[in-house]
Amino acid sequence: MIANLKRIIQTAWKGLTRNKWLSVACITMMVLSLIIFTSILLFNYAANTLIRTLQDKMDISIYFKAEIPEEDILKIRDELLGNELIAKIDYVSKDEALAAFKEKSKYNPTIQKALEVLGDNPLTASLNIKAKSTADYSKIVEDINNSAFKDKLETINLTENQKIVSQVDRLAKAVKIGSGVAILLLAFLSFIISFNTIRMAIYSLKEEIEIMKLVGGSNWLIRGPFLLEGLLQGLIASFITTLIISLVILSFGAKIENFLPGIGLVSYFWSHFWFLFMLQTVFGLVLGLVSSFWALNHYLKV
Amino acid sequence: MSLVYFKNVSKSYNGFLILDNITFTMEAGEFVSLVGRSGVGKTTLLKMLIREELPTKGKIYFNERDIAKLKGAELALLRRKIGVVFQDFKLLADRTAFENVAFAMEVAGYSEEDIKKDVPEVLKLVNLQDKADHFPHQLSAGERQRTVIARALIQRPELILADEPTGNLDPINTWEIIKLLVKINELGTAVLLATHDKEIVNTLGRRVISLENGKIIRDEQEGKYLI
Repeated sequence: MIANLKRIIQTAWKGLTRNKWLSVACITMMVLSLIIFTSILLFNYAANTLIRTLQDKMDISIYFKAEIPEEDILKIRDELLGNELIAKIDYVSKDEALAAFKEKSKYNPTIQKALEVLGDNPLTASLNIKAKSTADYSKIVEDINNSAFKDKLETINLTENQKIVSQVDRLAKAVKIGSGVAILLLAFLSFIISFNTIRMAIYSLKEEIEIMKLVGGSNWLIRGPFLLEGLLQGLIASFITTLIISLVILSFGAKIENFLPGIGLVSYFWSHFWFLFMLQTVFGLVLGLVSSFWALNHYLKV
Repeated sequence: MSLVYFKNVSKSYNGFLILDNITFTMEAGEFVSLVGRSGVGKTTLLKMLIREELPTKGKIYFNERDIAKLKGAELALLRRKIGVVFQDFKLLADRTAFENVAFAMEVAGYSEEDIKKDVPEVLKLVNLQDKADHFPHQLSAGERQRTVIARALIQRPELILADEPTGNLDPINTWEIIKLLVKINELGTAVLLATHDKEIVNTLGRRVISLENGKIIRDEQEGKYLI
């Protein structure tokens, strides 16, 4: 058993170093596959973060007529909190709205002057409503429109939000389905590329495999070195891919952050370095193992 | 109990009949020459015995086991009990004579100690002890064939199949190889020699099975090549 294991390791290493150019070709193809794989993981993170940010920014603002007293608004808020679709409601009083507006436009002297001229607070109190799910915003707006307090409202800030809501929802679904399909498709393409390169390497050894079979080599003893060679190629490819992606992130990190502000792709990469490395290595090992197994099967039929 | 039993075996390729209803037995320790013109089906018959090919009809038994029913590990074991000497040698070009012989032990899972002990002994038996470090291209055709015989012998098989082993050799090397096969047979291993060399068969004076048009036309103890 130990003699067999030792022999399998020795033969695998010999195979890897004997056909240098074929090994280089196999590893290069696997590196390409792994770069695609890891890029999809990073793209998926960026897309999900973008969607989450958009979803966090989404809300419904309902503005009350100036004459509606605060206690009535708070009652309406309590009533709305009974709606199971609603996660959270923030009450913004007239004074708070004015303070926030002043703060926001403190560098705009025209607005400052206009407020001084008006003297009185022109803003109205409002309720900012967050839904439990982005898909529920339309239903909440409909509920408000059908409510008894509808005539106490000045405006419902819904038109713009409604568009964003449906767009973000569509985007979220598309990203989920798209990245799933892309991962499957590219994993399949990576497999085909690696499989054919490894098959070429094994083809050059078909005579050796045939002789092994004819002198009584068992399938697993013949397969062993090739499978181990495939695993080693996957492992080496994973190391090279990690090196390349790390170098790209180190060199172009600032540019990536500028291009995708607020996503934190670079910090995500470094904080999840080992997780990404592990996923990518597992993908590389499976790619090498499955490709070698399938490529070899054809020649083991003797 | 026969070592080999072919029971009504037929083989056809794409509807073209190569072997037709072949039946014969072979005992342990026997030396049998299988003769016939080129293309008569001698190689196909040998290939079926190591299950490189499967019969279209009939059954082949080795030590009373139907070889068509052997699973992966059992098939490997069968091939270790049957050593094959190929006309085209089938040696690995990038390995020395020693490594080519050792290779058959490696794939069978023998330890390094066993390999270091057994390979030189077998190389000595085929008189190649001084050429152990030579690669196939550094060996003459006769020496290459002796390396193949050493490889076939290394696992102490019960049967040696020799498929036109002298087809690529000059007369001197031819007789060296035949003498070696006789010597191996005298040590107790059965030999099935496929050949179309009349002189060899007639000089050996052993059992001869003659094939013609895919059928056995003669099976005689101390037979002659009469086709």
